[in-house]
Amino acid sequence: MATPARERLQESAHVLHLDDAADEVFRLMMGAPCLPVEESVTEGGETITAVIGLAGVMSGACTLRCDLETALRMAECMVGTRPLELDAMVKDAIGEVCNMVAGAWKGRHAGLAGGCMLSTPAVVTGANYQLHMQQQEFRIDRRYCFEEHIVSISIICESIQ
Amino acid sequence: MSEIAALIVDDSSVMRKIVERALRQAGLPLSKVHEASSGVEALDVLSSERVQLILSDINMPMMDGLEFLRQLRSQALAPEVPVVMITTESSEEHVKEAIVAGAQSYIRKPFTAEQVKDRVLPLLDLA
Repeated sequence: MATPARERLQESAHVLHLDDAADEVFRLMMGAPCLPVEESVTEGGETITAVIGLAGVMSGACTLRCDLETALRMAECMVGTRPLELDAMVKDAIGEVCNMVAGAWKGRHAGLAGGCMLSTPAVVTGANYQLHMQQQEFRIDRRYCFEEHIVSISIICESIQ
Repeated sequence: MSEIAALIVDDSSVMRKIVERALRQAGLPLSKVHEASSGVEALDVLSSERVQLILSDINMPMMDGLEFLRQLRSQALAPEVPVVMITTESSEEHVKEAIVAGAQSYIRKPFTAEQVKDRVLPLLDLA
């Protein structure tokens, strides 16, 4: 009998999979490693959060949050020119990074790779906001250092079959 | 070496730029790069432009990459043109679905320019 996705996900080292997924995306798309750290994204100033919805075997979201300077640097690394402000291109770049991290993370789980769909990215900007989900089966919150910048990435699972 | 025109289909303008850069780094002699942000836009481009290579994302609003591919093949628009899917969806099921729909190859995001070169060059007649 096939093992349910829930058990396979809980058996696997999904935190390590998120670390590996984030590092792979940053190295390949931005040419720099992305390594786990304890520091948090600076609160108070403007932050940018990209959200990718997950649906299917697992429903929930993958979020990537960073400050303005980090977002500008990530976009610069991806397109090769430095943006002057938080424009549509920067939001697009942050959304794509989140999309690739979510895809790389779920691709590392046998139970999710083919049975969990990703939404197109949504990007939220502002200060002092919180993202709320209806319910949580589990949640992974990780912070990473990219160059000298801090990026927070979370996987929030609302339900899993 | 013959020059080729390519069509890059992705709802992200950043990804379109990255794919174009990867094609140039791969040494492809590009005469023109057309862009589309959805399957609908891509079909519209192909109704008036001739291309020798199509690279398409799957997960896009309005018309996703698989539906674009099905319509492309069913309408016999660019019937001989190789299509490479570039997407975060990389399970065996997704790859099979893309191949059945008419894709010649598949590249998983994130990717390197070298991976793009390895997948795209064998599909082109550049003699």
